[in-house]
Amino acid sequence: MYIKNPKWLLSAFLFMLCISAINAQTTVRGVVSDENNQLLPIVNVLEIGTNNGATTDFDGNFEIKVTNKNAVLEFSFIGYKTQTVVVGDQENLNVILTEDVSQLEEVVIVGYGSVKKSDLTGSVSSVDMKNLPSKPANSIDGLLQGQVAGVQVTSSSDDPGAGATIRIRGGSSLNGGNDPLVVVDGFPIGYAGDLKQISPQDIASMEVLKDASASAIYGSRGANGVIMITTKKGSKHKTEISVSQQTTFSEFTSELNLWRDPVLMAQISNESRINGGFTPLYIGANDPNGVYYPSVTELRNGTWTTNTKWDDIVFRAPISNNTNVAIRNQTDKTQFSLSTTYFTNQGVYIEDDYKKLNINLNVVHKIYNDKATVGTNVIYSKGNKNNNGGLAYWRNPIFPVYNGTDDYYLIGNQDYSHPIALTEKRSNQNNFKDFIGSAFIDVQLLPSLKLKTQLNHKFGSSITDYYNPKIYTEDGNFNNGSGGINNWESSETVAESFLTFSKTYNDIHDFSAMGGFSYQYYQSRSSDLKAYDFLNESLGNGNLSAGNPDQQSVANSFTETVMYSGLGRLNYTYKSKYLATFTMRADGSSKFGANNRWAYFPSGALGWKMHQEEFIKELDIFNELKLRSSYGISGNQGISPYLINSRYGQDQYYVNGRFQTTIGPGYVIGQDAQSGKKSWGGIPNPDLKWETTSQFNIGADFAFFNRALKVTFDYYNKYTTDLLRERLLSPSSSYDRMWVNDGEIENQGVELTIDANIINKTDWGISGTLMLSKNKNKVVSLGNAVSSGLNTDALTGMKYEFSGSQVEAFRAVPNILAVGQPINVFYGYKVDGIIQSNAEGLAAGLTGDLAQPGEFKYVDLNEDGVIDQDDRTIIGNPNPDFIASLNLQGRYKKFDISLFFNGSFGQDIFNTKAFGEPSNQPLRWTQDNTTNNYPSLRDGRNLSMSDWFIENGSFLRLQNLSVGYKLDNLSTSGITNGRVFINGTNLFTLTNFKGYDPEVGTDGIYWGGYPKLRNWTIGVELTF
Amino acid sequence: MKNTLTIRKELKKMNIKKIILGITLAIGIVSCESLDVEPKGFYSDQNFYKTVDDAEAATLYAYDALTLVSYAPVTFYLTELATDNCSVKPDEGADAQAFVNWEVSSQNELLTQFYRSIYIAINRANAVIENIPGKGFNQEDERRLMGEALFLRAFNHFNAVKAFGLAPIQKSLIDELNETTASLPNDMQEMYAFIIEDLTTAIDYLEINRVTGRADKVAAQALLSKVYLFAASAKESGVPKYNALTESVDNLYAKAAEYSGYVLNNQGEYAHDTNIQNIYNSEMPNGPEHIFILSLDRTGTQEGDYSKLSKYFIPYISGANVYLKNTDDSFSKTHDGWSVFQTNDDLYNSYEPTDKRRTELIVSEVFNEAGTSIGTVADETIIYPFTRKYVDPNFEGDKTSTRPYLIRYSDIQLVYAEATANTDGLIQYNQIRNRAGIDELADLGGLSKADFRDLVVQERQRELAFEGDRLWDLRRKNIVQANVTEAAGLSPEAVAFFPIPQREIDLNPNIN
Repeated sequence: MYIKNPKWLLSAFLFMLCISAINAQTTVRGVVSDENNQLLPIVNVLEIGTNNGATTDFDGNFEIKVTNKNAVLEFSFIGYKTQTVVVGDQENLNVILTEDVSQLEEVVIVGYGSVKKSDLTGSVSSVDMKNLPSKPANSIDGLLQGQVAGVQVTSSSDDPGAGATIRIRGGSSLNGGNDPLVVVDGFPIGYAGDLKQISPQDIASMEVLKDASASAIYGSRGANGVIMITTKKGSKHKTEISVSQQTTFSEFTSELNLWRDPVLMAQISNESRINGGFTPLYIGANDPNGVYYPSVTELRNGTWTTNTKWDDIVFRAPISNNTNVAIRNQTDKTQFSLSTTYFTNQGVYIEDDYKKLNINLNVVHKIYNDKATVGTNVIYSKGNKNNNGGLAYWRNPIFPVYNGTDDYYLIGNQDYSHPIALTEKRSNQNNFKDFIGSAFIDVQLLPSLKLKTQLNHKFGSSITDYYNPKIYTEDGNFNNGSGGINNWESSETVAESFLTFSKTYNDIHDFSAMGGFSYQYYQSRSSDLKAYDFLNESLGNGNLSAGNPDQQSVANSFTETVMYSGLGRLNYTYKSKYLATFTMRADGSSKFGANNRWAYFPSGALGWKMHQEEFIKELDIFNELKLRSSYGISGNQGISPYLINSRYGQDQYYVNGRFQTTIGPGYVIGQDAQSGKKSWGGIPNPDLKWETTSQFNIGADFAFFNRALKVTFDYYNKYTTDLLRERLLSPSSSYDRMWVNDGEIENQGVELTIDANIINKTDWGISGTLMLSKNKNKVVSLGNAVSSGLNTDALTGMKYEFSGSQVEAFRAVPNILAVGQPINVFYGYKVDGIIQSNAEGLAAGLTGDLAQPGEFKYVDLNEDGVIDQDDRTIIGNPNPDFIASLNLQGRYKKFDISLFFNGSFGQDIFNTKAFGEPSNQPLRWTQDNTTNNYPSLRDGRNLSMSDWFIENGSFLRLQNLSVGYKLDNLSTSGITNGRVFINGTNLFTLTNFKGYDPEVGTDGIYWGGYPKLRNWTIGVELTF
Repeated sequence: MKNTLTIRKELKKMNIKKIILGITLAIGIVSCESLDVEPKGFYSDQNFYKTVDDAEAATLYAYDALTLVSYAPVTFYLTELATDNCSVKPDEGADAQAFVNWEVSSQNELLTQFYRSIYIAINRANAVIENIPGKGFNQEDERRLMGEALFLRAFNHFNAVKAFGLAPIQKSLIDELNETTASLPNDMQEMYAFIIEDLTTAIDYLEINRVTGRADKVAAQALLSKVYLFAASAKESGVPKYNALTESVDNLYAKAAEYSGYVLNNQGEYAHDTNIQNIYNSEMPNGPEHIFILSLDRTGTQEGDYSKLSKYFIPYISGANVYLKNTDDSFSKTHDGWSVFQTNDDLYNSYEPTDKRRTELIVSEVFNEAGTSIGTVADETIIYPFTRKYVDPNFEGDKTSTRPYLIRYSDIQLVYAEATANTDGLIQYNQIRNRAGIDELADLGGLSKADFRDLVVQERQRELAFEGDRLWDLRRKNIVQANVTEAAGLSPEAVAFFPIPQREIDLNPNIN
């Protein structure tokens, strides 16, 4: 080699030196995956004996510089066995971590933190999101039916945009609300029932906190359990676009029970009116309102031919649609997700439509060398509902739709139920907008200490526009046209900050502590404008000032509440075997008086992972065996604010030629729709305090056969005291009711979940989940009988009060709250068949019309020879004995199938339509048909609440069936993943209940109406 | 540990102190608000009774209680149905039938509503009485409003004693739980002493100042005369519990005469209206007769603001509008009604055939717009002859301005006649008969005071029929059993007082 330039040589030398210097620190790269070739992110990589470390990125890649070939690398990751590798000559390492079955993989979100599922001491259930029915849904609530043991979901309405009722471990409150709290990404947004702001497609996971150990951290709002929702974040290191489209076609599950034969209808009507002592209607003459009713003969011989099928005019086969498009991405520093959902929902009634647009933006970004994370989640949704429900599908078929060509045919001059007239002339539309936003910063102050601060804001508004025209509506007719606008908006701010400390001492003492505080401010306001007496109706409510200026009315309201809280949790684990958790929350709320403003909600739980013990390991049966038990106190403050303040009423009195505003003590807190009778309140109770629920829970988790069979069992006892209720006051006080803390309710039950991975082959597999829950509730006390004005059952001395709404046909309230009984049992007479002779009726203690043949034979329970109120007793229980669900999943190659059965057993239903419908009226008692099953027809009969109307409401339903086909290997088209599917809900129901559907509200009253819908959804999900 | 060191360095870089300071500050700012939240959307004791306008509105709220649907119409179930004046529509509820049949139990819902409404009105009056003094309002306003509130408190307590006998006396505003269990007064003396004291003070405070729908000095004098008359006649006729009154019967009559005398002689605002039609003209609530009339107007938006009294008294006539013939042969339009309060034949027949109160104020024939008769009582189109006292020709749908006549001048004339039972009284008595177009009573010859008083009470039935006074007359004269068939054979206690509602007994440990 001829060297011309020594400088160059020197440089080269230095360069070589450098390289060798670098070489001395070998760089090792590699990929970490699990046994299924899933790449593992954030695995810790540490060169043993040094402080030199690294972590894998989201594709499992790592890179670490080691000093020499003898370096040993340690790979550790939660849920996996730690592995060590000698570097040697390798520069590329493929490390496979094996699952550590002793450490369950799952991490569950709990209040103010997360915990390894295996370390849970409380009763927390995760919802398996892939088991939820794939159908367009306004909110997640209704889809949760049967998904979690101990959670009862009732969706008794098919109305567009309707919510569902969720009860976790039964109802523990009478007036304070029974809906669980919902927390979305750490933001307690309110109570379940109508989570319309969150699109189901945007939800990544859901956890249900059931026992006090889990829910008491939410203190005064935790008594009904808590639902934790985590929304989807970006999680792949590439831009991923996913599209899902679902379209649902719905139909009634059964025929409508309406009059199809006008002759029979007329005969039945005439018979009923004659028996009742009234002039029959169908006699070929005008009724008192001047409406001509044809005679039965006219109907029979075809003189009168009109037979309108009103249900065909009023109902439609509704189609609903849900489209979701999401873009998600993740880089080393940033997770990003933007999702938008458009949902349309048709009601069964024509023009009863619901639409909603939902946008969800989620960004998480790491700063300061990944030692801090900032993020935001913003959800905006807006929608509207055109209310056109409740149209008269039951209208008399002998009358036509139109009178001549395009005049509506009205039955008399006070006909307010013409469905087409209402659809075309009446307007009622609701527009809503919701915003939920949160921003957080999460700072790793020290390796063992983290600070998280989150600011949340929620805003909701709703505007209802309506106009009731002059002729076709009662309100409009009475007021010569009436229209209005109802405005409502609410906002809520929650600021929370908490520190989390966690550290392991001597490898056996795992210790973590969390402490923080929370501030919540809520405000809502409303304004209602109403005008009457419109000259020109063409604008509807568009120009309310065109109404009569003397009759315009306005009303508005404003409420606000403030709450401060301090909270904390301690977790301690010894040798990964023995677990202990303690939580504490202190809440102070402006809803309560100075004397009882602050309340404290402690809880404690213990767990024992027995499968870690040698003596259990030796048995070689259990993969998991964990016992856990908890006790704690949570609260309920679900009452309106200002009950600690006196509240004056307002009215007007006509003086000096005009109405003048009047104000003073006593304001109207309720008005009976039927009688117009007002209830008066407004007397303050400065001693009002929180409802308190103490809950004991004991449970166990088992896993067998390499975790192919998992069983979870829980027993609980919830005891609620200081029930927030309105006690009655003596009339001489001038008030009817006052809010007090009085009464006790107990709920106890068991929950069992069996999860079985029955067959798991490469090509095919079967798995299933069975859930059983049984809850028994009991009203222990309704407070002091004297002070609460309870009724006394004449037969047993049982104390009770009526609860809920009156059934018009009976002029009575079916449900009672009775001491020693479950909530809402039915109360009334017993019936022993039908009276066949007047003598039999009189002998039974009945008199007058009620003793006639064909009447109900009420039972003289107290045997005093007279049927009166004292013969009433408990005649049914609307609470189920147990609820059960079975979810079966199967897969074969690219096909998947899931079947979901849901059932509720042992509950009674009060069937208000058990007699009086076209289907059962012809079965009536007559002189020729002396049946013992149905009474005679008699208009004006005073029906009494009786067990004759009680039916067994048990049912088993094929709630959901879904068949899908996986699309993959479509990489040429850019599609990385996809699935097409067909999904059916409410496919068939096994029940003895005679009404349309046994799924009724928690009070067990069946009101009739129309059948439930069966829904067929076709859908496709694609990821690009 | 190197890791820790690195982190610490990082922390220094990002200046963690600043961050923590920022967060603390942010939360500190939002946390500054207190847990005491003042109500902003409604009035309460914290923000009311600040000005004289507040006090005015509070006083009107007390008047407004008298218009409650649970009070104004319900009064007639007691005072007309439980007497020989009216019976009730057959398919009206059992609670209404009970008044006709004198089977009113403590569970009777109408009775309970009446009772409760009395105390709603009293509490509203007490709110004024308790909150006005000491607020520094001008003396004139304070005396006027206090006087009206005292009048209303007495008016309602008087209703309580007439209906229930011994019933709770509420002397102060109830706004705490421990004030909600009142006791019964010891005896009638305590009851009447309280009412009389309120009215005496009210008379002192009030001036003569007519405002339709409100009470003034004359109304307070008139009411006090009625209170004394009730006490006098009840004690005289041996109504249970009235023996406890310390004043003698004669003194009580004298007081009744004194206060009714002030009404007749010491003021020029109110007077005997010689035109009987005017009294019941719904456009003339400010007529000379109306010492105290409830104020309702058809332009109101809910019942209680407007009145449906017409619907109660007018029979159902096929749901149509009908026309009533006036004395000048013109016609007045009205809606038909619900046939709730149905005129008894005995009442109708108690009028002489020429009595204008029968010929002009009771309707037996209705017409159409063209003035053609469309039906009569005789042909059963109209199921009973009905009163014209509650007809509003300018009705709007069900909404009318028909008003309960709470205190009429004629009433006080008859109070005076009864109380004095002398020739002065006879003049007043004859003025009433004269207006009705029937014979006057020439003199008192041959009539004892008691005889004449009985005549006055009979005249009161005819003059004040359908006006909510009959039961009280029957009770204070202890003649319920004699006049009401359904009450014959009942005990003196049972006819003198309705039972205290069961709801009160159940909920109030101090009453049983």
